Amino acid sequence: MKHLLPVSLRVNGEPYDLLIPPWRTLLEVLRENLSLTGAKRSCQEGQCGTCTVLIDRKPINSCLYLAVEAQDKEILTIEGLARSAEVLHPLQRAFAERGAIQCGFCTPGLILAAKAFLEENPNPSEDEIRRAVVGHLCRCTGYFQIIEAILAAAREMAGKGAQVGH
Amino acid sequence: MPRRARWPGREHRLAIETMQEHSIIGRPVPKKDAWLKATGEAKYADDHSLPGMLYGKLLRSPHPHARILHIDTSKAERLPGVRAVATGKDFPGIKYGNLPQTRDYLPLALEKVRYIGDEVAAVAAIDEDMAEEALDLIQVEYEILPAVFDPEEAMQPGAPQLHDHAPDNISSQSAFHFGDADRGFADSDLIQEDIFETQPVKQGMLEPHACIGLWDNTGKITLWASKQSPYVVWRQLAMGLGIEPGKIRLVQTYIGGGFSGGKQEAMPMDFCAVLLSKKSGRPVKFVHTMDEVLTIGHLRHPIKIWLKTGIKKDGTLLAQHCKIIANGGAYSSIGQLSMYIPGAMLNLPYRLPNVKYEAYRIYTNNGFCGAMRGHTLPQICFARDSQLDIIAAKLGVDPIEIRLKNAAQPGEVTPNGFRLTTFGFTECLQRVVEASQWREKHGKLPRYRGIGIGCGSLVSGARLMGHSSSTAEIKVQEDGTVLLVTGSTDVGQGADTVLSMIAAEVLGVQLDDVRFAMVDTDITPVDPGTFSSRVTFWTGNAVKLAAEDARRQLAEIAAQKLEANPEDLIFRDRQVYLRQQPQRGLSFGELVRLAEYRLGRIIMGKGSYTSGEELIDFRTGYGNMSPAYTPSACVVEVEVDPETGQVTVTGIWGAHDCGFPLNPMLVRGQVLGASVMCIGQALYENLIRTQGKVMNPSFRDYKMPLATDVPKLANVEHINIITRDPSGPFGAKEAGEGAATGVIAAVANAVYHATGVRIKSLPISPGKVLFGLKEMQGKGNKPANLVKG
Amino acid sequence: MGYLRRLPRFEYLAPRSVVAVCDALAEYPGEARLLAGGTDLILQMRRREVAPRYIIGLKGLSELAFIRPQENGGVTIGAMTTVRTIESSPLIRERYGLLCRTAAEMGSPEIRQSATIGGNLAGALPCADFPPALITLGAQVKLKSQQGERLLPLEEFFLGPEQTVVGPSDLVTEIQLPAPSPLSDGAYVKFHDRHAMDMTTTGVSAFVTLDQERRRFCDVKIALASSAPTPLRAKNAEAALRGQAFTEKAVEKAAALACQEAQPRSSWRASRDLRLELIKSLTKRAIRQAWEKAKAPPDGGRP
Repeated sequence: MKHLLPVSLRVNGEPYDLLIPPWRTLLEVLRENLSLTGAKRSCQEGQCGTCTVLIDRKPINSCLYLAVEAQDKEILTIEGLARSAEVLHPLQRAFAERGAIQCGFCTPGLILAAKAFLEENPNPSEDEIRRAVVGHLCRCTGYFQIIEAILAAAREMAGKGAQVGH
Repeated sequence: MPRRARWPGREHRLAIETMQEHSIIGRPVPKKDAWLKATGEAKYADDHSLPGMLYGKLLRSPHPHARILHIDTSKAERLPGVRAVATGKDFPGIKYGNLPQTRDYLPLALEKVRYIGDEVAAVAAIDEDMAEEALDLIQVEYEILPAVFDPEEAMQPGAPQLHDHAPDNISSQSAFHFGDADRGFADSDLIQEDIFETQPVKQGMLEPHACIGLWDNTGKITLWASKQSPYVVWRQLAMGLGIEPGKIRLVQTYIGGGFSGGKQEAMPMDFCAVLLSKKSGRPVKFVHTMDEVLTIGHLRHPIKIWLKTGIKKDGTLLAQHCKIIANGGAYSSIGQLSMYIPGAMLNLPYRLPNVKYEAYRIYTNNGFCGAMRGHTLPQICFARDSQLDIIAAKLGVDPIEIRLKNAAQPGEVTPNGFRLTTFGFTECLQRVVEASQWREKHGKLPRYRGIGIGCGSLVSGARLMGHSSSTAEIKVQEDGTVLLVTGSTDVGQGADTVLSMIAAEVLGVQLDDVRFAMVDTDITPVDPGTFSSRVTFWTGNAVKLAAEDARRQLAEIAAQKLEANPEDLIFRDRQVYLRQQPQRGLSFGELVRLAEYRLGRIIMGKGSYTSGEELIDFRTGYGNMSPAYTPSACVVEVEVDPETGQVTVTGIWGAHDCGFPLNPMLVRGQVLGASVMCIGQALYENLIRTQGKVMNPSFRDYKMPLATDVPKLANVEHINIITRDPSGPFGAKEAGEGAATGVIAAVANAVYHATGVRIKSLPISPGKVLFGLKEMQGKGNKPANLVKG
Repeated sequence: MGYLRRLPRFEYLAPRSVVAVCDALAEYPGEARLLAGGTDLILQMRRREVAPRYIIGLKGLSELAFIRPQENGGVTIGAMTTVRTIESSPLIRERYGLLCRTAAEMGSPEIRQSATIGGNLAGALPCADFPPALITLGAQVKLKSQQGERLLPLEEFFLGPEQTVVGPSDLVTEIQLPAPSPLSDGAYVKFHDRHAMDMTTTGVSAFVTLDQERRRFCDVKIALASSAPTPLRAKNAEAALRGQAFTEKAVEKAAALACQEAQPRSSWRASRDLRLELIKSLTKRAIRQAWEKAKAPPDGGRP
């Protein structure tokens, strides 16, 4: 088919060589071609943040991003965040332990956005955290536990310094 | 710093006290599935796929009201990749719905469409792109009918009629009178009348509706779906398909938020998924887009509320007369109940001897309304508690005092027959006043800052028509772990955890030892579903009974082995031992293996709970709806920008009598989440409809609160009032909805105290505040916080 | 009925240079759309408001992703520079605090990561935040096509809602900002219902230059968002302030004039009356804030 384009993506450290039509979004390719369903399909217009993934360590709405434009970029989805099944990322632990997860639909996007944010601002104020997650809706928690979890993870990551992975 | 992060202040002490009494119950433990959700492993409906699966899409009506003259699907059927097309004629034409008298749903429209978005046809194709293309090829010939969008116009003679069975478009009504309202008004020193209006609001769950249907060649139907009340769907699906429920298997997936946004009912997509599967021989998946979700309905009812209250000079409430007209939209949903509730709970949490109530739910050519977290109570509490502040100001009484004076007390029976077993409302008020520093703030804050209170009440599950009981089964496995099987779903509220905690507590095992099964109607017991804050109370009681049943079976065996009385045994920390001689005992695992291997006795516990309450007579409105009621009080502080009218919520303090918090961290999550949802309704949210067309079917324009719209952590507190309800499991009552019912009134009252502007229609938008301020300045008035009262 | 759909089919072109983009545009006149950050175009395509036959992807065009200081003290920003890059550029922060602050308040971090300055301008939404800020900064915009290039003041760029002077074969390549004069600074003040994310109900940018004594407005530029079919210069308001001392009365008068100049419309988002009230309030705020910032010693009050 003349429409199919070869695309090489690096997702969670793994190389994938795909042949896809150009009108596929990165979200569609992650979910439908690679079965990585951690990024969610919700508003599909960049308002809810459930589809957030990191491209070259920065958060983007994968519903608004053509997969062909992610060629050769480093993509991190929630599936690639934990170092292993036993060793979760401090943000994952903090979200789980502090009641930041109810229905969980917003969780993968929020955790990834928070990860990118803490890399730039390892010691954030409460207000800075709020502004960092405005692209994410959560209808369950009212955000308080999410802010608490990000604060707690920031403290833990600062305490452990560079030894916390990723 | 989040000072209440893990062990929230007072809850910390409470937890320590509890730990001496219980080993599991009362601890703020994380949700059981949180780790699965934190890693993206939890599979929601749209995350599943089956081999050979097709993708479905629904064609929706572009007209608010029209007769379907002809549907031509031939072009769509000929499109390569399309495997099946369905229209209303493929179904038996049986109307389904919630209550027998209001069944008006069809899987797909037959003769008429009644709102923009009504489902007309469906296709299944090899991918979504193809399915969407196929919709463009379906030709529907409509005869456009006059439409009506305003409920008061729809009630007029000669208005367009939506349903043949409903003259004057009355979808449902409720009218009752308890005590003697006329007498109450005659004895009153002050009579206050106001009209309040609320707006259409959407649940806003982030997971759109999604399902996969399979109709196999033996006639067995399986639906995998995101459903908060799977057995309602199961029954409705059977009803609309005209087959026995026994032929249907419904399997629940992880649920990305419910709030009764449609996941409690069978939807056209569910019917079409299974029917198109029958036609194509392949599984068929449907996923709504968010603009479909925001268009179709299940909204919180917009209501016009006329409220008249009579009161003595000393602040004693004597009588209320309330009339409401609700814009029901095109279909009934659970509308009969939606209309009963505001009247039945008009008074609570206050004592009110005389109540008169009339409610009309009107069909209009809009997306339909139904239940949403708190049902119709946030609306009625907004009206009532706003008016209570208007009255307090007129009488020169503090808003707290007037509420304390009229606070209903435990042991009382309301005029319509609600029996208040435990009811810590007075304590809610006292504690929230203390936490919010009400006395230091009220009337003393700087200009354009204000503080307001709102109160509410809720049921702990309702005794409704049809099946109401909950059942649990406990399978004790040979490794000493426990499988807990119920018909209840976790929608994120923490049912998986709290129900497991109850089982673990009774059996003396660890929380991690309990596995919580998700609903599969072939395996799990029938259950009403997740609504009206019933799961902890009803299913919780069933779980407790089931666990006690299993423990009894194990205790008999242990007693023989230990040569003791079964009553003297303690089950705790995976050990079973004598109360008086803790050294005499055996491990839980040893006991189970003794029972199951040596004695061949497989340990399975069973428990069912029903409250024993009478059915409510919706006609007279009399009867005790719930085994227990929760009161709540909420104080909100706001800051108003006088140049833009923008309201910022700067603090929220709530107190709620949940009986006993089985898991304080999850209770806090419920309460704060529900409260922020109501802040959304108070300030931002509004599904705007023009001639039946939703103007803002998008999260860009349907504005739910963001992290930047909620108060700082230091100004947020939730207080649990402990009353230990005698019928609740370990004393617990409702916690998912009640605490938020007063929030909207609290915001409205705070805005009034900040600005002097009394806003009686929602949302409290910048424009209303700004023009209210201008009008006041025109009159030379000062903001209320500079005036006493 | 337009519900959100998957993207329509298109052929994807990814030219590697500006020249190649211009060639592609010339080859498919009217049939190609440029895809920059995608935050608007992807949505329009999902809604089938547009369904171009060719999409020319610009993400790989590193030639247009730059922020470059000019010898004259000005700065040139490539059209594919993201909002996030502008927000975090030390050069922009130092010379054009107004632009930096405007960028930082746009959308979410995710949106800012993708959205570009060129896309924001070419999209020409009346509620866009960059145009008023850039207009008050005196920005010029450069367009290129096979025929050559033109440079025009940003003010002349907009023709109506989603309409600009950009022809079917034109590409916006860069935005040029003049050297900031001493004792000048600005503020963009916007209003929307929530505290973030929303489309701007009304926005006002004011950029002021003070006299040596820091007592009078030497020069003033005011531009409004969501107040007319295009970003609007409030020239009468500017003129009323020029040469004046900073007084509440002068500010009030300028705000009243800005209201007269604005032509906001009523929609379900906001009424004309509300927008006029907001224009008045926000104009005052923007002027006051601009004054304070301009008055402050360099680096003093800047983020």
